[in-house]
Amino acid sequence: MEGSASEKPALDAKSEVTNQLIDFQWKLGMAVSSDSCRSLKYPYVAVMLKVADHSGQVKNKSFEMTIPQFQNFYRQFKEIAAVIETV
Amino acid sequence: MAGELEGGKSLSGLLSGLAQDAFHGHPGITEELLRSQLYPEVSPEEFRPFLAKMRGILKSIASADMDFNQLEAFLTAQTKKQGGVTTDQAAVISKFWKSHKTKIRESLVNQSRWENGLRGLSWRVDGKSQSRYSGQIHTPVAIIELEFGKHGQVFGIAFLPAQRGKPSCKDTSSSC
Repeated sequence: MEGSASEKPALDAKSEVTNQLIDFQWKLGMAVSSDSCRSLKYPYVAVMLKVADHSGQVKNKSFEMTIPQFQNFYRQFKEIAAVIETV
Repeated sequence: MAGELEGGKSLSGLLSGLAQDAFHGHPGITEELLRSQLYPEVSPEEFRPFLAKMRGILKSIASADMDFNQLEAFLTAQTKKQGGVTTDQAAVISKFWKSHKTKIRESLVNQSRWENGLRGLSWRVDGKSQSRYSGQIHTPVAIIELEFGKHGQVFGIAFLPAQRGKPSCKDTSSSC
């Protein structure tokens, strides 16, 4: 997972685009078996974000990360937390 | 000719082709392509069951995510049974699994992931922001752009830390 700034367009902070984070739930799961692989043994972190869009409507967004992806995710948030302290 | 099928030389290529088709989702690897490229002297009628057998063996190994002990036992059993594999072929299969196991497993895990995967994360911290819809000024705010899934869907979130710089917030009674 790419973490830092890239050639992508600059983040748009317009209120129509950005949802406000209300809640963050997580789950650590272990996929044991699937139709494509009987012996899967795959740990993952599932996240459920509860956000409010510009109109105030609340919606949920869920996604999944592998452990290395989660470690990168966590590292990014630690960096955000450190920066936000200094602002 | 049956003799062509027994050797190990072309088998490595065959297993690669099978893996590309069965695990990595590579399109266009047909039975005819594999036969004509790797076993041109073998007739299609003879090739078909051979291919099916090799595909079955590879899928069994991958599905069980066999470690090297299990692999040895499995392949030994295959060499002993009627219509199984030769020792040469077993050696080629063993070598193939050892070098491709990680990549195949990764593809299988991806096939079992149906939720949005997180492909990318970008962020920015703003010192001060004001929304057209709320008169309040929040300082500071972190804006995070999450890129999901296979088709690059982008999802932006803003979060405002509570006092002392900690991100909000599980407590629904506080205003976030």
